[in-house]
Amino acid sequence: MTTAEATTTAQNLHQLAWVFDLNKCIGCQTCSVACKVLWTRDDGEKHQWWCSVNTMPGLGTPKAWEGMGGGVDMATGKPRPGHQPTREEFGGGFDYNYYEVFYGGTAGKAHLEPQAPRENRWAMNWDEDQGAGEWPNSYYFYLPRMCNHCSNPVCMQACPTGALSKRGDGLVLRDEEVCMGDRFCMEACPYKKISFNYDRHVGQQCIGCFPRIEAGVAPACVRQCPGRAVFIGYLDDKSSKVNQLINEWKVALPLHAEAGTGPNVYYVPPLSPYRLNPDMSIDYETPRIPAEYLESLFGREVHGALATLKGEMDRVREGGKSELLSTLIAYHWQELLGPFTVDPATLTPNGNGNSQ
Amino acid sequence: MKVAQLATEPAELTNPGSPAWAEVPAIEVSLKPVALAAQPVEYIRETWAGRPYGQTSRATVSAATARDRLYVRVEWEDDEEPNREFQDAAAVVFDGTGGDVATLGSAAHPVALWYWEHGRQAPLHLISRGPGVVSKDSTGAPTAAAVLADKRWAVVFSGPAGGVGQRRIGVALWNGSNDERGGLAAVTPEWLPLESERGV
Repeated sequence: MTTAEATTTAQNLHQLAWVFDLNKCIGCQTCSVACKVLWTRDDGEKHQWWCSVNTMPGLGTPKAWEGMGGGVDMATGKPRPGHQPTREEFGGGFDYNYYEVFYGGTAGKAHLEPQAPRENRWAMNWDEDQGAGEWPNSYYFYLPRMCNHCSNPVCMQACPTGALSKRGDGLVLRDEEVCMGDRFCMEACPYKKISFNYDRHVGQQCIGCFPRIEAGVAPACVRQCPGRAVFIGYLDDKSSKVNQLINEWKVALPLHAEAGTGPNVYYVPPLSPYRLNPDMSIDYETPRIPAEYLESLFGREVHGALATLKGEMDRVREGGKSELLSTLIAYHWQELLGPFTVDPATLTPNGNGNSQ
Repeated sequence: MKVAQLATEPAELTNPGSPAWAEVPAIEVSLKPVALAAQPVEYIRETWAGRPYGQTSRATVSAATARDRLYVRVEWEDDEEPNREFQDAAAVVFDGTGGDVATLGSAAHPVALWYWEHGRQAPLHLISRGPGVVSKDSTGAPTAAAVLADKRWAVVFSGPAGGVGQRRIGVALWNGSNDERGGLAAVTPEWLPLESERGV
């Protein structure tokens, strides 16, 4: 299948989309852990984080992933070469000295430490809260990432065995029985959100919690978010919050859209305080997070999105109402879940459950 | 190539270093890279253009039957440092439908592979419909044992003999140090017809 054919096919699909509000993400990793305990506890999955939250600016997971290539050359439509992230670049999956600390009679002397060489240690969110800038103008924000279930999935096109496919709801899934572990998908993915299971010799990535989706339950990363920062819904459903945030208000933007794969995870970009001048007066012209940095992540549309958010905030401060801010505040929790409102605690073995 | 018919115990033949193999005639075969143009997806053709692969040009192959099983021993030089991501691998390729060994079969004419990869728990029986276009077949699973010594791999595959005289085989090798996998392999460009030989 050529890139153009894949794009045409994808455009005809029903498409699930996620929106992460970066102004509400507190970097608590509840989404990451909710995913981890559901899906990556088997052999060869210890180091895998299908959902991960990293401090930005930062090197991320896998380390320095933004410089690893992949995706599509927008000018030629041809796939761009990419680097396959290595086990070391993902890092993590450490063993710890639990026995020594808990049972070794070393109270006050030993502390938990990864059992790996100190040099070149890395793991998901290893550079937590380092960010960038100098006091008093240092800054950072959190960026949750997962498979983008792209409309133009280059992973699928790069796979010689046909292990990857795009479902009618837009999820990109892998048949592990068909996967040979060739890892061309990992090279081709510009987001580097495919992991490799070295025990089972297969690639693995976010499955969009499809068994939950099929039972009407929102994915774990969405439902478990304590900050009410994640929305899910169908992009082509005009009434969905994701469609409104992305297409009507235009405040939710894809990450690195220039990679050409049509990602379906969107982000409400982070507002930031203004910079302080050397005399500690406020520079009302300059946000602390450099505009060019946000543009490098979310494209030029980020300026319009931030202006819309500021405008709506100003209106509310002046006593007005804002449907956009009400949506983002998520007074009505169920609105985050789109059509997937079934409470997983009420599911029965035959898949029935009640909305809550 | 001649296939020795032996009365040797299978346990001896499955060991690539067994003296039993010294008694079996071996041939030198030439290998060539599977053509880039034959690679099945644009991503591979684009990203491997100009990058050498399949450079293992020679291998030593010998074959024997014992107790209705076919044993194929493949030996080749590998003097590169191992790659932590991709591993060395080898396959015996079997013709079943008039397929082309040089492309590892095609959609219309698939070939079968006994596939061994260093570090994998078990060898695989694969159906190949082109370079890297493989599917796993749980029937007829082969066994394989490998030894790396003096910078040379020796792998012994075994599986059901299945009418040796009518079969023809090829050999494919993947150099893990060069990130070779899928259809990025060196392969014998022509089939090697098996010729049953009574005794050694």
